[in-house]
Amino acid sequence: MTNTEYSTGEMLAVLLARDLADGEHAIIGTNSDIQLAACNLAQHLQGPRLSWISGPGGMISPKRDELLSTADYENIESAEAWLDLPNMIDFIDWKIHFFDFAILSALQVDRFGNINTVVLGDHAKPKLRGPGTVGIAALTGLSKRFYVVLTRHDRSAFVPKLDFLCGPGHLDGGNSREEYGLPPGGPRLVVTPLGVFDFAPGTRAMRVRSLNPGVSLAQVIDATGFELVVEGTPPVTEPPSAEELQLLRTRVDSTGVLRKKFP
Amino acid sequence: MSTQPSKIVSLEQALAGVPDGASVGLGGWIFTSQPMALVRELIRQGAKDLDLIPTPGSIAPDMLIGAGRARSTVCVFLSFEQYGLAPHFRRAAEAGTLKVHEMDGPGIAGGLRAAICDLPFMPIPDLATDLPKVNPQHYRTLPTQPGERRLLAVPPVRPDICLIHAQQADEHGNVQFIGAPFFDVMLAQASRRVVVSVDRIVSHDVIRRNNHLTKLPAHMVDAVVEVPYGAHPTASASLYRADDAHLREYVKASGKPENFAAYLERYVGKPRSNAEYLDEMSASRLAGLAVSESNLG
Repeated sequence: MTNTEYSTGEMLAVLLARDLADGEHAIIGTNSDIQLAACNLAQHLQGPRLSWISGPGGMISPKRDELLSTADYENIESAEAWLDLPNMIDFIDWKIHFFDFAILSALQVDRFGNINTVVLGDHAKPKLRGPGTVGIAALTGLSKRFYVVLTRHDRSAFVPKLDFLCGPGHLDGGNSREEYGLPPGGPRLVVTPLGVFDFAPGTRAMRVRSLNPGVSLAQVIDATGFELVVEGTPPVTEPPSAEELQLLRTRVDSTGVLRKKFP
Repeated sequence: MSTQPSKIVSLEQALAGVPDGASVGLGGWIFTSQPMALVRELIRQGAKDLDLIPTPGSIAPDMLIGAGRARSTVCVFLSFEQYGLAPHFRRAAEAGTLKVHEMDGPGIAGGLRAAICDLPFMPIPDLATDLPKVNPQHYRTLPTQPGERRLLAVPPVRPDICLIHAQQADEHGNVQFIGAPFFDVMLAQASRRVVVSVDRIVSHDVIRRNNHLTKLPAHMVDAVVEVPYGAHPTASASLYRADDAHLREYVKASGKPENFAAYLERYVGKPRSNAEYLDEMSASRLAGLAVSESNLG
């Protein structure tokens, strides 16, 4: 792999990192390699004071050059603090807008950015039994905004109707999220191997923001199980720069976890 | 010094008399501090139709399900992370043979808090999910005034027994966590009986000198078992990492019933003690796990 080539996982981490601001507070859940890489990369770029808290372990902003599970004990040694979960869950489960953002993955996402990590098919006898909800409902429901990162983009993931809603996005679109009584917020971007997507003002339906290099609009439409909002000719996503890749590979993911797991 | 009897018991004594149909809380977090020596002993002792309450988990609930000992499980998050979905949980849930009580983080925390506080329920925010539809037993709509946050009520989650793994304890039952305790303290507070395995027993003086590490004081603990590598193949903070090779072996064996039966016989049925279980691992394998992740290339 030369310096300008990159894996899917690396690209997704870079695309997310660019949207994160200095001084923001994030929460990183369990099994979150791309999410963690995005936050740590942003710290090396525009966000030196961006901080993140480990959902399972309560460690705040551990600093390492390699990706490590957020539950891992070794996060303690370089963290600013570590909180016990019973204290932390008051912020996670209840507090409105305590976190600026969360980044979630999903089995399914719909056109309003609602997500499913629970089952495919009927809950009583599912076709695929997923891992469950963990903190997703609270993270998508209560943080100021959230991101969805998917390592595949096809009609089994981008569906017209979720088999199970465990992470509220814009619900039924328009003002339905606020009308239900949820705090303002919802999904900001969805990033996939095919492109970057946001949500149109008003309808809050998913909109093509940019197409990844080498990807056509027809290809994206064909891989999406609902109608995307398309305005004009979408631009091409700026690929990871040499500097972004260099930092990612030396200061964030020095053991190449993203390349191995998400080639 | 103390006239109180020691709380240190054998694995067998710790789990003697767990009845069929008991609800069993399981501590730890995915591949950290799953109470595996206790789980293996629970399987050996034969209790069945168990209702599992992992907060959350990987191999601890999955092995109990694979061994045919569970009739239901709470699912907050059951995953084998980089190795995929929890194999037996997935198979049993998809076959419809395992009742799954779908819950989220606020739900399990609220349920445990209700149990801890002897409340009929705890309110949690209504986050517009499908959870109340599939799990009306654990999620009820709470009436609220116009303009107030929408709320759900979660009734108590009160395990008959909980199994927890920590790093060290003394004979009185003061339990110390060198790493994050995750949900373990709430789980212990909410449970009727608290059984803790530790990698080592230390003196009461050591406990007092490091008292900031004591997360479960003695009066919250019913029994302590000393089992070195008691979380194996998951990690125990500062002492050993997760055994990736063994976890892969488990997932591979789970692919076919006859292979999993052989796995269970080799690692659960045949060993009559934790020492005999550890003898099934090579010394170099176990020594290799006691290496800091930070030192690895």
